[in-house]
Amino acid sequence: MTTIQQPRILGAGVDRVDGPLKVTGQARYPNDFNLPGMAYAAVVRSTIPSGRIRRIDTTAAVKSPGVLEVITHENADHLGEAPATFIKNPQPPLQDDQIRFYGQYVAVVVADTQQNATAAARLIDVEYDNHEAILDPHDPRAERIKDPWGEDTAWGDVRTALKRAPVMIDQTYTTSENTNNPLGLFTTLASWDGDTLTLHDSNQWPNMIQQVVAAMFGVPRDAVRVLTPFVGGGFGAGLRCWSHIPLAVMAARHVGRPVKLELTRPEMFTGLGHRTSSINWIRLGATRDGRLTAIEHESLTTLPLDGDEYEPCSSVSASAYASPSVTTRDQQVRLNIPWTNFMRAPGDAQGNFALESAIDELAWEVGLDPLEIRLLNYAEVDPKTGRPWSSNALRQCLEVGARRFGWSNRNPEIGSMRDGHELVGYGVAGVSFFWYQQPCSAKVIVRSDGSAYIRSAVTDIGTGTYTIMSQLAAGLLGLEVSQVEMQLGDSSMPVGTAAGGSGLTAALGSAVHDGCGRLIQKFVDLAGTDPFSPLAGVPFEDVEVSEGRLFRKGEPTRGESLARILAVHGLTELSADGSSTPNTPEQMGMTPAGARGARFVEVRVDEDLGRVRVARIVTVNDGGRILNEKLARSQILGGTVGGVGMALFEDTVTDKDTGRIANATFGDYLIPVNADIPDVHVEFVGEPDAFNPIGVKGVGEIGLVGVAAAIANGIFHATGRRMRSLPITMDAVME
Amino acid sequence: MTTLTVNGTEYPLDLADPRVTLLDALRDRLDLTGTKKGCDQGACGACTVLCDGRRVLACLTLAAQCDGREITTIEGLESHPMQDAFVRHDAFQCGYCTSGQIMSAVALLGENRAGTDADIREYMSGNLCRCGAYSNIVAAVREVARHA
Repeated sequence: MTTIQQPRILGAGVDRVDGPLKVTGQARYPNDFNLPGMAYAAVVRSTIPSGRIRRIDTTAAVKSPGVLEVITHENADHLGEAPATFIKNPQPPLQDDQIRFYGQYVAVVVADTQQNATAAARLIDVEYDNHEAILDPHDPRAERIKDPWGEDTAWGDVRTALKRAPVMIDQTYTTSENTNNPLGLFTTLASWDGDTLTLHDSNQWPNMIQQVVAAMFGVPRDAVRVLTPFVGGGFGAGLRCWSHIPLAVMAARHVGRPVKLELTRPEMFTGLGHRTSSINWIRLGATRDGRLTAIEHESLTTLPLDGDEYEPCSSVSASAYASPSVTTRDQQVRLNIPWTNFMRAPGDAQGNFALESAIDELAWEVGLDPLEIRLLNYAEVDPKTGRPWSSNALRQCLEVGARRFGWSNRNPEIGSMRDGHELVGYGVAGVSFFWYQQPCSAKVIVRSDGSAYIRSAVTDIGTGTYTIMSQLAAGLLGLEVSQVEMQLGDSSMPVGTAAGGSGLTAALGSAVHDGCGRLIQKFVDLAGTDPFSPLAGVPFEDVEVSEGRLFRKGEPTRGESLARILAVHGLTELSADGSSTPNTPEQMGMTPAGARGARFVEVRVDEDLGRVRVARIVTVNDGGRILNEKLARSQILGGTVGGVGMALFEDTVTDKDTGRIANATFGDYLIPVNADIPDVHVEFVGEPDAFNPIGVKGVGEIGLVGVAAAIANGIFHATGRRMRSLPITMDAVME
Repeated sequence: MTTLTVNGTEYPLDLADPRVTLLDALRDRLDLTGTKKGCDQGACGACTVLCDGRRVLACLTLAAQCDGREITTIEGLESHPMQDAFVRHDAFQCGYCTSGQIMSAVALLGENRAGTDADIREYMSGNLCRCGAYSNIVAAVREVARHA
């Protein structure tokens, strides 16, 4: 009972089990809950990037119709320190008069209606003492942090290799700030009952919110219950306990009523973090026939004054290609900006754009096909350690993608593939995504009718966790998918990990795998205590499970149903706790490989206007075992759309004098709309991964990575102009 | 007293506060939370509902303007083939924009604007999907339009 049985359930394009709820408006997101006596909160944000509050006048707001309470740093509760949970969480709001970034919360107003709360919030008058803000990453006064995660790498002699290299690429690539912007407005509905607290909250990790809120408010963890059965997207935005959450909790305690705090779209830009901008310096050394001799990649990303962030942009260059010498260095710089934070493929998204652009430049320099140069420098083993990969089908991604795309039809000459007034360009990029997994647990329960359910305090942010875990457990327990219910989104369930880092499916799936195995063992043991059971005396190893029945291998008639075993023993249900902890490379003798992928893009550039249109995309990915092709394909499609946004549109613009985000609306911060997205061909290749028992590699993020480089490389093929800065705008193409 | 007619039911509504949008009235007063708020600025389409059969943005429509009009929300669709097509084509992920996408798509059929994929893409472009399910949305609308 250690292998996954009934593959007919896995891989199959099972429809999303929560689909019917979502197409009828019945799925309830955190802001869809309304409680009796509920009051509404509205926040006030700072309008300077650095300084202190000299005076805050709430007189008019307090007198405004319907207002129940106004909280500022002058009357806020003193809260406990916010613990770090894998990464730092913002310290509690309204604890002092200091302003660290434009948009920091300085007050919260609670009223009987949202309209009254919002109107009153506008009446609060704040006077500030301005301090000089540091907003430019190049400002010499800014604090710089070298090698923030101890992950800088170096092997071989890069300096000498670069000096001796017959061909060298030495370029700088930049990416702009992007904002996650999940469509669901992040909301906290806080409700105290004595000393216990219930939160309906938008996040990607209920146990993290539970832990941080409990610490801040000085209550035991189990006194806080966080409910997130549905969340309107995250893309990383829900991986920290943001300051609006304790604000709502504090407000609810002040007014003695449930309080709903729903962020507005502009508040989503300052209150939930954003993808850092990045500067990447890349130097490649190569032989005249295009073989890499040196890779040097340095990056600079940004941090808020008091936060941390994991954005190892340069790390992608340590594992992507075989090179005898490699140096990667990351640096961060602290600024008076809202928090930088994880956004779909942190670090990889930016670093891959730089590396895959540079590799393309090298291909042109040595006169090699951009696809060929990637295959020529293919990393058969982990270049850092020399260990084999747990799985790696990048070569197949590139080869299959090239065939599907028709790469061989490409005329290598720049600007040669014209269609009317449009210049046609083909671009390619490869992707080696990072591996990430955290411990996770799940309880698996079989009921007296033979159906099953699983419980784990995780979230399904749209990735399909409800569905694929039902499929996985159905396969392991020998049930139909419709007989298994995945229950999640409740911190009181068995401790779950974050829906982040493309790591949930491996973590939770391995826990479910473990739990199902233990549960079957319990059923076998139970049957063994019944002398009349056909399974009496049959060892666990010899038991198979199918159609809700346990039976002896090769003897399908010698067995009995799970339901019958429960009935015989007078049980209403039987459960087992499953857990998973990630394996280590040392223990496995291999390097865990994240997903791998290749992007092939046809761009069309309007010769007169510089307008770039993406005409078609082929994206081939190795995600290990694919539990549900329909849903995995959706993850890749979604990532691809995000990649097009990063490449061509998305740019969180900060006013350089005030630190104010100048385009914090959907009217001004452009994301792709339906008409921007062409036909996308998605395909999966590869084998089950060897690093976890279910063979999966997450596919939530990889779809985004590589799209920007492929587009930029295609633009070069079309126009001869190299785009080294994202987003690629019409003026840059025309320059 | 204003009367809102939503999905065929008449709701008398005290709108002493004229600032209440149709979206907030639906969500906060009538507990019809299937209609979503994504921006409250008319830019994302998540709050799309039908008003006298035309698609409108509920966040840019004052509740008081809807006196005597027929409002249809996602809760008012009765097993529309578009809903089933969205599930089968996996035309959503988190599901937050889905009500608005479906209301837009249903209206599109009546507008005769779903003839080609290019048309569907263009006329569905007022509905943002941050999860990026656009190709699947086009596939779902195309299928229903062909069989309509």
